[in-house]
Amino acid sequence: MKRILPPVLVGIAAIVAWQLTVTLGRIAPFILPAPSEIWEQLVEQRQNVWEAALASGANALIGLIAGSIVAVLAAMIASRFRPLAEISIPFAAVVSALPIIALAPILNNMFETTSSIPRRLVAAIIVFFPVFLNTLRGLREVNPIHQELMHTYAAGGWTFATKVRLPGALPYVFTGLRQASSLAVIAAVVAEYFGGLQNGLGSRITSAAAFTAYPRAWAFVVGACLLGLVFYLTTLLLERLAMPWRSRLIA
Amino acid sequence: MSAVVLDKVTKVFNQGRADEVTALAEVDLTVGDGEFVSLIGPSGCGKSTLLRLIADLIEPTTGTVQVAGKDAGRARRDQDYGIAFQQAGLFEWRTVRRNVELPLELRGMGKGERKARAEEMLALVGLAEFAGHYPAQLSGGMQQRVAIARALAVQPPLLLMDEPFGALDEMTRERLQAELLGICAQTGTSTVFVTHSISEAVFLSNRVVVMSARPGRITAAIEVDLAARDEAARQSERYFEHVTAVRQALRGVPATT
Repeated sequence: MKRILPPVLVGIAAIVAWQLTVTLGRIAPFILPAPSEIWEQLVEQRQNVWEAALASGANALIGLIAGSIVAVLAAMIASRFRPLAEISIPFAAVVSALPIIALAPILNNMFETTSSIPRRLVAAIIVFFPVFLNTLRGLREVNPIHQELMHTYAAGGWTFATKVRLPGALPYVFTGLRQASSLAVIAAVVAEYFGGLQNGLGSRITSAAAFTAYPRAWAFVVGACLLGLVFYLTTLLLERLAMPWRSRLIA
Repeated sequence: MSAVVLDKVTKVFNQGRADEVTALAEVDLTVGDGEFVSLIGPSGCGKSTLLRLIADLIEPTTGTVQVAGKDAGRARRDQDYGIAFQQAGLFEWRTVRRNVELPLELRGMGKGERKARAEEMLALVGLAEFAGHYPAQLSGGMQQRVAIARALAVQPPLLLMDEPFGALDEMTRERLQAELLGICAQTGTSTVFVTHSISEAVFLSNRVVVMSARPGRITAAIEVDLAARDEAARQSERYFEHVTAVRQALRGVPATT
């Protein structure tokens, strides 16, 4: 409760300040709508927001899962062959610095206009890098005593990988996944700005803005925020479930 | 048959390079069945290197190492020894019981059997009720006891220990020493024990092997015959005589016992 209360109070204060600034400062709604107007729109459009969030969420989720699986497998392979890891780290860093979201229009042209694949691909590619880099770091950091112990147990490479390397890398994998979960939602939403199917949050935001219905556009932005939060919190929950030894420190 | 036989073992690190170090020179050592041998000496005398050679974690430059009558590599693959280090080195994602089970698991022992064995070993080190805990929930001394239980789990004829109590406080250390002696007596395990505590070496061992550095070699071997090894023995005259003998040997004065 003590940890939750301060951010909630700050949040409420910020919304009140926003409301007061807009109403007292007579700021035009096309510059910044008041929270009350956005709330009205959110309630009115809740069915649309929900459906759009489901569509974008499905794309983000599929991209997140596919990107993460490929990233963990790639990291496992790279960690097995030292030269490969040396090459792949700077390469991955450079590629991840590219604005991958800019691939969206190109990918859209590669598939049919009604296909969801381009948006899922963008999400998967964006997810790949944080998961890959973190997992690789975790896989390479093995406690030397664990290494010696496994050697005295005459354990082979595969046994060592599954019993020591992977569980030891789990905290790093989840650090990557936490970053990736928010990125997946951003990627899935922003990819919709560049055409393709018009059923997600991103396309709703652009069309509302095109009709100068700014409070409605903001309502969908709030929807995107909540979707990102759901992804992040789910990842946190999974992290706790997957690593019970971390949350059960005090007996 | 002897538990360990080292014959003219020399270990040179970074051979042929500018930073070449002779860690051990021409070392001969035999550990009899059921014998408790301590290796003691200043830092850099090669006592840990000697232990690692027996464990086949490193290979000798020249000479041979035999464990249980076999080549050290064969003995390692057959899991003929259990090992414990200064740090417990437990796997933090496994419960205490599953940590002890790991070497058994890797040997292909069945689930029920290894659970029973692990619980038996944990009872031996007095941690039966902590089987379901994670290592991070235990104190340093308890973790070290789990590591010892794990080393004993395969019921090895030989136990190798590299300063296992080095990081513990004096009281915990003395209690674990007594526990270790009890376990060794009960199971008939031969032990090679690396330490830099004279009193620990004398209290635990049948024989204290004194080493010196640059190059690492054995300078003396002192037989310890205490009537009993209990709290009273720590105060006995024989005990202090042996402590003095080991201390003199470490300083290079010829031993009198």
